[in-house]
Amino acid sequence: MELLIKNGVVYDPLNEICGEKMDICVKDDKIVSKVKSPKVIDADGKLVMPGGVDIHAHIAGGKINAGRLLRPEDGRKGTEPRGKLTRACTGYSVPNTYATGYRYAKMGYTFVMEPATPPLLARHTHEELIDTPILDNAILALLDNNWMTMEYVKSGETKKLAAYVAWMIKAVKAYGVKIVNPGGDEAWGWGKNVNIDDSVPNFDVTPRDIIGSLAEANEMLNLPHSIHIHCNDLGHPGNYETTLKSFDVIKGRSNKNRQVMHATHVQFHSYGGSSWKDFESKVDEIAKYVNVKKHVTIDMGQVMLGDTTTMTADGPLEYGLHTITGRKWTNLDVELETGGGITPFLYSSKVAVNTIQWAIGLELALLIKDPWKIVLTTDHPNGAPFITYPIVISLLMSRQKREEVMANVHKAINKRAILPSIERELDWNDIAIMTRAAPARILGLDRYGKGHLGVGADADVAIYDVSPEEKEAKKIQSALLRAKYTIKGGEIVVKDGEIVAVPEGRTYWVNPEFDGKPTKDMLGDLTGKFEKYYSVNLANYPVQDAYLPHPIEIKTKV
Amino acid sequence: MQVTLTPKKAFKVPVEAEAIKPDNFAGKGKSEIESIALWHGNKEVKLGSLFDVKVEGVDKEGAKIVIEGDASRIKRIGEGMTSGEITINGNVDMHCGAMMSGGKVIVKGDADAWAGREMRGGELVVEGNAGNYLGAGYWGVEKGMRGGVIRVKGDAGDYVGGHMGGGEIIVKGSAGLLPGLNMSGGKIIIEGDVTLPGGEMKNGMIVIKGKVLEMLPSFRFEGTEIIDSLKLKKFTGDLTRGGSGTLYVNIIPEE
Repeated sequence: MELLIKNGVVYDPLNEICGEKMDICVKDDKIVSKVKSPKVIDADGKLVMPGGVDIHAHIAGGKINAGRLLRPEDGRKGTEPRGKLTRACTGYSVPNTYATGYRYAKMGYTFVMEPATPPLLARHTHEELIDTPILDNAILALLDNNWMTMEYVKSGETKKLAAYVAWMIKAVKAYGVKIVNPGGDEAWGWGKNVNIDDSVPNFDVTPRDIIGSLAEANEMLNLPHSIHIHCNDLGHPGNYETTLKSFDVIKGRSNKNRQVMHATHVQFHSYGGSSWKDFESKVDEIAKYVNVKKHVTIDMGQVMLGDTTTMTADGPLEYGLHTITGRKWTNLDVELETGGGITPFLYSSKVAVNTIQWAIGLELALLIKDPWKIVLTTDHPNGAPFITYPIVISLLMSRQKREEVMANVHKAINKRAILPSIERELDWNDIAIMTRAAPARILGLDRYGKGHLGVGADADVAIYDVSPEEKEAKKIQSALLRAKYTIKGGEIVVKDGEIVAVPEGRTYWVNPEFDGKPTKDMLGDLTGKFEKYYSVNLANYPVQDAYLPHPIEIKTKV
Repeated sequence: MQVTLTPKKAFKVPVEAEAIKPDNFAGKGKSEIESIALWHGNKEVKLGSLFDVKVEGVDKEGAKIVIEGDASRIKRIGEGMTSGEITINGNVDMHCGAMMSGGKVIVKGDADAWAGREMRGGELVVEGNAGNYLGAGYWGVEKGMRGGVIRVKGDAGDYVGGHMGGGEIIVKGSAGLLPGLNMSGGKIIIEGDVTLPGGEMKNGMIVIKGKVLEMLPSFRFEGTEIIDSLKLKKFTGDLTRGGSGTLYVNIIPEE
């Protein structure tokens, strides 16, 4: 099967192609330099980009399913009957797996990272990913509130920690290491929370120690992605200081291919003030740091004004939200590993804090000068469902659109946010970086054919029916919401905004090689943990190959 | 304008009839009404294939719909209606008058579960008995009925006015478990007996004129008051939710 995408206006930042009119050739599932007898797609005057790469969206797993159970009323929104090819869709903030696959594909996205899988529940996550059509995917394993991890952090046995991380990633078929409110979930088991230099109850380690040791283990294993961190103190006034301290923990480290820390949904971590009354944006401080440092990259975690469902492994945070709103809430505890919580949330344009949160996400994208350091996300569904990405993009590209929104929200935005003073408008090259090239590079997936259109890359292509000169926000939004074409693995999956093929996605996982004495010693410790505490046997713990029908194994060496 | 619908047979498979409401019928002729789409089980069918349709007069608004015969397997009649009137001369299936915001529905027989669910305005009268979840919110919904009036001449089932935020429900007979569960506004009057009224209520008012068969311990006694010439005990709660709802009861179980 050959395709020729003719005369498109191509944005392919990883290959330094910026709005050039050119042809893209596809043979089978790869980009090639020429084709013999292709099917021709006329892309004259249309935007052509690599398929979108989402670095952080909660799309599958125990927490998401608990969210669906907590919010059956969300299922009443966004219902679509089954079609000839498509299964029935439901849901807005907690869509079913089919809706997730189709909606992303319609927006031109072809890869999504599920960023917070409790290792014990990984089997369930993979099962849901099997039922998520079209999208290539991967999962990050939560390894920070884990008893084994914290004990090795305390004893300073970093090699054994690396052996444990390697074993876990292989066992649950994960792609990398996720850290969520390090130490906070363990403390939450005792009704407490911790900040970066507090001691975690019963383990005598600090979040700072956990971050530093996991980063060291991550680099020792030479994993394609860096540690991926949700910092302590999320969502609280004045938390930007904790955020900067967290960034600073590993400031001396470097890696020739990528950052050594990816901090996620930094919007929720860029707050000033001492209470909700003087809550304000501190993006200027965060941007000042990120602009000059090379070791850290971030994603936005943009909030959009409206109703959504918040869900994180940050158990104490979700309980705090529930006490503020009085709305329903559920809590999760995953044995020795992690926890979590879920509660619905309405970001209201009439509420000063919510309005400032909305501004903060945009400020991050606009004040951080280098788009390679900031990825577009809404921390789906925490800031907003992923289906709002086209609106976020139109806001970043149009100062006028931002002014229209700012005119109709709480006036606190004028005093306690920075957005009203920002003139910058992003262009399509910036957007292509923030939604494709940068997330692929930050995840280390650019080396495996994602996020670009060079010869040999995966034939994942998005074609949008919008002129590169278009300024009108509405036209940008509708073009991005319904791609003219989405090509996934060389197959046309979306045409004129409708699903026309539903291939199954592939799951990327990392197989880190790390053997020898530390691994042997670690397995001794691990066996003890399973015998003493776990509700399952060690032999039944690893996810079987059958749960990844289309695996892409990435081997790494020390 | 009056439209009379007579079911052609007693349905075994339920009919999903949210399209049967005055808003949809106003200004339409017989053939137009007959061609309105309904779901019968998993098949989409024309209204005319399930009902005999008689139309008298034509008006742009305020249509009156009369359903003759057995509607006990016809769901969602009047769902989302904003005006006009529906009379059902018999029993009706679930979700009758759900999410209605105006107009009037009269059920001459019994109404099954979820009658008047998430109602916003208008009036629903059930002359027989009502099922469970009268005026409540459907699964997961954080506010049930918010406005309008529901009158039931017979008994009602469990969870009357669950998650209610406004409006009024009057039940002449008895009701089951937990009327006013999690309610945050509005008024429920039950003239017969109930069990465990007002659980988790945050605000609003419940009046029980008959017997409370079992009383939650999380309500604070405030004294007695005369309401509708009955001397009733006044309670505030539910204290487990820091609630400031008012619960009036007549006869409660002895300690």
